Amino acid sequence: MLIQIRGGRVIDPMHDRDAVGDLFIEDGRIVAKPEGRNPDEVYDVGGKILMAGAIDVHSHIAGTNITLGRQLMPELPALAAAEGQPILASPAAWGSYATGIRYAEMGYTTVIEPAMIPTHAIEAQAELAAIPIIDTAGLVILGNDDYTLELLRGARTGGDELKDYVAWTLEHSKAIGLKIINAGGSEAFKFNARTFDLDDEVPDYGVSSRAIVESLQQAVADLRVPHPPHVHCNNRGIAGNVETAVATIEATQDLPIHFAHIQFYGYGDAGKKGFSSGAPRLMEAVNKHKNVTVDVGQVMFGQTVTVSGDILRQFDARGAASPKKWVINQGDGNGTGVVPYNYRAKSFVNALQWAIGLEIFLMAEDPWRVLFSTDHPNGALFIRYPEIFHLLTDRDERARWLDDLPADVHEVSNLAGITRELTLSELAVITRGAPARLLGLTDRGHLGPGAVADIAVYTDQKNKRAMFAAADLVFKSGALVVRDGKVVRVAWGRCYHVEPGFDAQIKRRVNAFYDRYYGVDLSRFGVTEAITHRPDRFATVPCLN
Amino acid sequence: MTSALERAADLLGRARFPVFGGLFTDIRGATAALALAEKLGGVIDHAAGESLARLSLIIRERGASSASFGETRNRADVIVIVGSEPLERDSDLIGKLFPEEKGLPCPGDQVRELVLLGGKQASAQRRVPLTWIEADDGDLPILIARLGAAVGERGETTNDQLAIVAERLRAAAFAVFVYSAAELEEPALFTLLDIVRHLSIATRAATLALAVPGNGDGVNLCSTWTCGLPVRTSFAGAVPEHDARKFATDRLIESGEADALVWIDALAEQGEHWPRGVPTVVLSSQGPVGEGADIVIEVGCAGRDHDAALFLTPISGIGMVEATNPTHDKPTVASVLSRIGELIDAKEAA
Repeated sequence: MLIQIRGGRVIDPMHDRDAVGDLFIEDGRIVAKPEGRNPDEVYDVGGKILMAGAIDVHSHIAGTNITLGRQLMPELPALAAAEGQPILASPAAWGSYATGIRYAEMGYTTVIEPAMIPTHAIEAQAELAAIPIIDTAGLVILGNDDYTLELLRGARTGGDELKDYVAWTLEHSKAIGLKIINAGGSEAFKFNARTFDLDDEVPDYGVSSRAIVESLQQAVADLRVPHPPHVHCNNRGIAGNVETAVATIEATQDLPIHFAHIQFYGYGDAGKKGFSSGAPRLMEAVNKHKNVTVDVGQVMFGQTVTVSGDILRQFDARGAASPKKWVINQGDGNGTGVVPYNYRAKSFVNALQWAIGLEIFLMAEDPWRVLFSTDHPNGALFIRYPEIFHLLTDRDERARWLDDLPADVHEVSNLAGITRELTLSELAVITRGAPARLLGLTDRGHLGPGAVADIAVYTDQKNKRAMFAAADLVFKSGALVVRDGKVVRVAWGRCYHVEPGFDAQIKRRVNAFYDRYYGVDLSRFGVTEAITHRPDRFATVPCLN
Repeated sequence: MTSALERAADLLGRARFPVFGGLFTDIRGATAALALAEKLGGVIDHAAGESLARLSLIIRERGASSASFGETRNRADVIVIVGSEPLERDSDLIGKLFPEEKGLPCPGDQVRELVLLGGKQASAQRRVPLTWIEADDGDLPILIARLGAAVGERGETTNDQLAIVAERLRAAAFAVFVYSAAELEEPALFTLLDIVRHLSIATRAATLALAVPGNGDGVNLCSTWTCGLPVRTSFAGAVPEHDARKFATDRLIESGEADALVWIDALAEQGEHWPRGVPTVVLSSQGPVGEGADIVIEVGCAGRDHDAALFLTPISGIGMVEATNPTHDKPTVASVLSRIGELIDAKEAA
């Protein structure tokens, strides 16, 4: 069946396209205009905006950690709704099913879960499979696991065995890429460390955080995995940590690397309160190092819950829990910390965090390297994205928000002086084109022939919050799934992963490791097709040539 | 088989407020039960619902300071086994927590030691130093409270052994308290959490709850990611509602609030008896199920007849168990419940 979407303004930055035109869909893909054929179905979208389905590169939507958050905070949607956040006051509103529905309504069609625990990949994958409509993929965490650390003991680099181990881990969990969270920091926490810096060494193993990241970065590059290592740095959330972030960026040896929720590392220590925007210093480094991509991790005011494999930092943050309850789960590898938090506009620190995030977006010279995220739910729930789109595209809206913030924020933030407004095309870059490119998902994030027909149609309006909160139409793989901001058809997406290949010997070695230390066979936590009853659930992303 | 499924669909299609209980099943079975309960406006519970309710309440009220089984086995230098049930449930628990080979790197150079708090005296291998503290009159919660006071150096500790253990816990690099939620009620669980959090100010400490029988943890997790709430949740209203007392299977049947029961018993381990009193559909892999069921549907046993995702102790999470004796003769819980749902839909459409 040939579908025509007629007469909309097509915004497709990957093809430098921003013009009124048509799109054609056949067999779930976008096709060039077929000559001499009449479409079987026509959607007239004159005056509307057409973009590729949005792609979220970093959102905690599945797995042990977020479900610990759900166990701790069933009241989160009710608290958020009571503050006016656009969410139903029901615990189910942040369950798997509602997650897929709400993402789709906003025009999102692919979302990446950024923190699968290797031994708990089955739960993460089962949860991803319970999310309707959107395609998904997971990043698997290494860097605080004893197998990696043993390979890097002393000054060793891990060599081929580390490369094989990374490849095996990616395949065993069916992940699309590798995540590194406070490399070595969680292991140091097991030795009762309460801080851990880039050049601190993991006790017993004698390997620095810097060396862990460098070795894993080399392994991923050697494996030709499209998505570079996805790194959560040391010292998250600490005043003055911009120096850590800049040092980490400068240590990246020109190999590709992605830094997650960089806003949480954009903190200087100037000013009366010893807390200031480090965004200029941070963005100078990001802009200069072309091998580096980041996602922002924008903060928004209101109730949320922070969920992280950075157990050391979460342990430190537990005193700030609001409501006053928290989880520190000392698990295998990283472990997890869950700390509820309410970002308040009247708080100097929170207001500055909010401003720093926006500064980072607006100081980016190349939007292809500065991607959109709130680190859902850590900076804000993903349902807040439309408000942030409004702030990024409208300086008057920013000024209105700034007026309500503590006056001393202006002394240590540059936001008020920034006049830049992101264009819709730039918005499409940071929410579509750039994430697709970064993940190696070449068949999406754009509207060229051959792309998966994931298409969002919006009504252009000055209020971008209203515009992006509810898409007029959303097509997922060519099927209409959303109309007038509501899901009209519940489809089921696919899960993307890489298969870089490895020397089979690694399996025997890792099996011996798990047998000795955990008394368990590898097959017990390997992800197989049997995880769902849908035979086409998994799809492979090819590695680079 | 078809007629049993049709009769089950009839029975459940007429039900006003059905309960899905037992739930000795794998993750796919739990997923299907949740979907059907949601469709019919019923309740989801588990045969070990009381233990799950306690664990759910603690985490919801205060959170958790927990450790995985692997971290406990590899890195805990003082392990406190609380009460008698942990060793009754797994007679080899000490062997698993104190393997002969050295564990992963951990701080300190103390010899790993075991404390049995309450419960019965047990023998460990000679290489594991063991201290047993008996509960006066078998009152375990009081003993836990006294240990809490000794650890926090509050009041006078009259029990020398408790004072010594408290001192060791404060000096430990990583102390872990192993317990069973079936044996401890909420006040004692809160006290244990307080002890661990007090110790964590200066050092590391954690609790480790034994896995709840019947894949209870797995079913509870599945319920949580599906609807945001643990088991003992009702789907009768506009939004799901959890209440550990109101939505307990036994109470709903006894009070007559529920008008149908779906009882699921499809794991290798022995299931529980189901409460009699309302029209009942039993899904069982255990052979003859006894009197009182209106409809009995034989299903495959998860992990024996078919591969199954189940909560596994060694990884403290959901893992995959391959079928030990794969057979396609028997349907899975998931396929039966999905089919019943389809039949109900078809009847309603007709």
